[in-house]
Amino acid sequence: MSLLSVQNLHTYLDSARQTVKAVDGVSFSINRGETFCLVGESGSGKSICALSIIQLLPAGIASHPSGSVNFHWNADEGSDNESIAEVDLLALEDDALRKIRGAKIAMIFQEPMTSLNPVFSIGDQIVEALQLHHPELSEASIKAQAIEALEQVQIKSAASRFNDYPHQLSGGQRQRVMIAMALACKPDLLIADEPTTALDVTVQAEILDLMCDLQSQTGMAILFITHDFGVVAQMANQVGVMQNGKLVEQGATSDVLNTPQHAYTRQLLAAVPENLAKSVIETASFNEAAPSVISVKDLKVWFPIRTGLFRRVTDHLKAVDGVDLSIRKGSIMALVGESGCGKTTLGRAILQLEKPTSGSVKLGDRELVGLTAAQLRPIRPRMQIAFQDPQSSLNPRLQIVTTLTEPMKAHGIGENHDDRIERAVKVLKQVQLSEDYLWRYPHEFSGGQRQRIGLARALVTNPEFIVCDEITSALDVSVQAEVLQLLLEIRQQRDLTLLFITHNIAVVEYLSDETVVMKAGKIVEQGTTAQVCGNPQNTYTQQLLKAVPRLNLS
Amino acid sequence: MTKSSRNSVSYASRIISNAFSGWGARIGLTWVVILAFVACFSPLLANSMPLMVSEGGQISMPILRYLSAEDLMLIVLFIVALLLWKTPLKFSTKAAITASSALIALLVGLAILSPPKTIIYDQFREAAAAGSYDWQVLPPIPYSPSDYLRDFGDNSLKAPMVSVEQFHLMGTDSTGSDVASRMVHASRVALSIGFIATGISMIIGIIIGGQMGYFAGRFDMIGMRIVEIFEAIPVLFLLLAFVAFFGRSVYILMIIIGVTGWSGYARYIRAEFLKLRKQDYVQAAIASGLPLRSILFRHMLPNGIAPVLVVASFGVAAAILTEATLSFLGLGPVEAPSWGSMLNEAVKSSVFNWWMAVFPGGAIFLTVFSYNLMGEALRDAVDPQLSRKAGVVS
Repeated sequence: MSLLSVQNLHTYLDSARQTVKAVDGVSFSINRGETFCLVGESGSGKSICALSIIQLLPAGIASHPSGSVNFHWNADEGSDNESIAEVDLLALEDDALRKIRGAKIAMIFQEPMTSLNPVFSIGDQIVEALQLHHPELSEASIKAQAIEALEQVQIKSAASRFNDYPHQLSGGQRQRVMIAMALACKPDLLIADEPTTALDVTVQAEILDLMCDLQSQTGMAILFITHDFGVVAQMANQVGVMQNGKLVEQGATSDVLNTPQHAYTRQLLAAVPENLAKSVIETASFNEAAPSVISVKDLKVWFPIRTGLFRRVTDHLKAVDGVDLSIRKGSIMALVGESGCGKTTLGRAILQLEKPTSGSVKLGDRELVGLTAAQLRPIRPRMQIAFQDPQSSLNPRLQIVTTLTEPMKAHGIGENHDDRIERAVKVLKQVQLSEDYLWRYPHEFSGGQRQRIGLARALVTNPEFIVCDEITSALDVSVQAEVLQLLLEIRQQRDLTLLFITHNIAVVEYLSDETVVMKAGKIVEQGTTAQVCGNPQNTYTQQLLKAVPRLNLS
Repeated sequence: MTKSSRNSVSYASRIISNAFSGWGARIGLTWVVILAFVACFSPLLANSMPLMVSEGGQISMPILRYLSAEDLMLIVLFIVALLLWKTPLKFSTKAAITASSALIALLVGLAILSPPKTIIYDQFREAAAAGSYDWQVLPPIPYSPSDYLRDFGDNSLKAPMVSVEQFHLMGTDSTGSDVASRMVHASRVALSIGFIATGISMIIGIIIGGQMGYFAGRFDMIGMRIVEIFEAIPVLFLLLAFVAFFGRSVYILMIIIGVTGWSGYARYIRAEFLKLRKQDYVQAAIASGLPLRSILFRHMLPNGIAPVLVVASFGVAAAILTEATLSFLGLGPVEAPSWGSMLNEAVKSSVFNWWMAVFPGGAIFLTVFSYNLMGEALRDAVDPQLSRKAGVVS
């Protein structure tokens, strides 16, 4: 008999004007010691589903017109009556729910930076949960249990870190503390809502390993929510694919991944970068002998660290520390590295958006370092940038038409306003958006559309070189696939040179001709993508590639 | 936005129409427009001299002789602004036309009009009583603000509407002049001091604060020290000192309130710009090689102006209150009546004459309240996500 069985769950969210059917008839069950993965794109209702199970949705907004969530729970634990009872979490009183939450069902969240309370030490936060659910224990034994929980998640010298505050820990460590908190009361079910999405791949690999270990030790069930099929392949026993609040397919992981039945599952799997058809890239010839568009020599970007009363410079943060690069015309170079390795700073320093400390950047034959803002202005249209965050990459106050025509006007492209609008329409069509989008404002678009508009803005000045700073990381896989294919097409049509900054190895393998791996401001390995990804020489690169969760289809 | 809005509405007019779609801002705007009308037409609304008389068959307009160039400018300003209100012109052209016609009116007025320095108000009433006019058209309030109505005997401190033959809508003050008339004429000082003082501080604050935020570094450090110096100036005492040296002029008040008040705006704009300059769309604007003016005023200012607008609405209110405070202390401008000085008179008397406190106090309250309503609505309208809520007082 299963630990948790969700029957025909409906969750409706009421806003002022309409009712959103966030979860629309979902049924699945999880056994003890098993991992069930809910996978789907953003807005598919997978998080709402998890929050419905643990009843964390605001009561005034969410309602459950039908369905049940049955959970094995014995209300009088420890008494003689040992028979296991089954309760419907949707119908349960708040008091009883509180006994289940944390103690029997625990939850960990996506964002490690905000899910811990910054004003309490990590030890206190674990102790609080334990005290609530085990009031009978003494203070000393609770503390011992909390330290044990920290040791369990492999935090080194746990006793001495007991009084540390969240800001003293790294993202991965914080996620470990979250897991320790969730597991301190030895729950039967752990709900993990994208617990590794905000983490680097190597850290992600560690956390996933840890969760598997803990599961085999404690025999708990895990409901794992993710959008990453690589993670699914690694973690899940059972997998459920969600679309628009409905569970369109579920089954054993290998069955679903190898022989997907539903069209949507097939579509999702086909959009994963590993599976994307490489038809375009094969036709684009990569010319080894092409002249370099961008050549970077010994580039350094150091940020001074000032301390003391007189703000003296005592040290430097070496974001980019002596980088040599040369990007050949018409090629796509991928810049890979984990967060904080300086890859974004390097991209911005090449475009002179960040002032380099020393070194040289050449666009064609033109030296860029040391030019004033006024000298740079005529060169700017030749090199452009597209950004990661679709929310902040477009000016919310301006219509798309203004965003697109203003750079043209500033550089004298196009004869008059109408001509510039015509050109803007052409570029919009190139990024597969329709003409009437010109008269809209950014908040009317989805994330994928905004990224296309961001690309269009970069393209209107007819640049020869574009830095793409993680432009697909905030997108769903299917949208990511579209944007990547679009990039390849545009590259071919316009003979563009791209520097593609990313942390996603699968995207690198799909897209790029050459790959550069960065660590702590330095380049540790560079070469053609096939070389670097197929036969990595550097130990860090090997580590990085090994940590990537792969979707190994037989 | 649909395709039909293709000949794109300018940013400013879209914001304004959004802001004034709700009832809160409309109430505020209505009061301010009424106030503006009253301020511009005050000599025609409240005056002892008839608007038009027929003297032995000859029709004349005695009021015209007493109009000053300033009055003419304000009347022209209001009429031109009203005429242009609904025309499909750009906001900037409208503003330019209005400003230039007002300027022309002022110059013409200075050249032609020469109102006599002293006016004997009694002469008109005496002439009317003596029957030398066939007929006359009097303004709605037939008393000038500084007409002490000596010919009526002791006319001081009459409660509103006690006698029918000498009708005073809001009573009279201790000198015997009509409170309603003084209220009408005082609206000029209130409106202009609020607008001009806030305008001056906003312009200075945006220019200095914007550059501090955008360039940061050393420029920012020096700028912040200047801001701190200006914040340390006690404005009220500075005003008292200036009033003592340069006389009690309303223009000096405006300039001093304006020049000392910009530090708040500069701080807000600086904070916003420091945040905005790292935004991707600003970086994209820099990467596109747009000129600095466009980056600062097109990409950054509209996204950072919201807090300043809210502060400005309070600033207008605060400037009105500062003037009222000065006048209440008996140091306000002498050349014109003001609501603050009327309040001052209300407390001078040994008995509490409610009409002398309630009307100017109420007017100050309503004006300050109206500016706050409009400021709130503007703030919501500047944000496209919030613009649906604009005008709804939350």
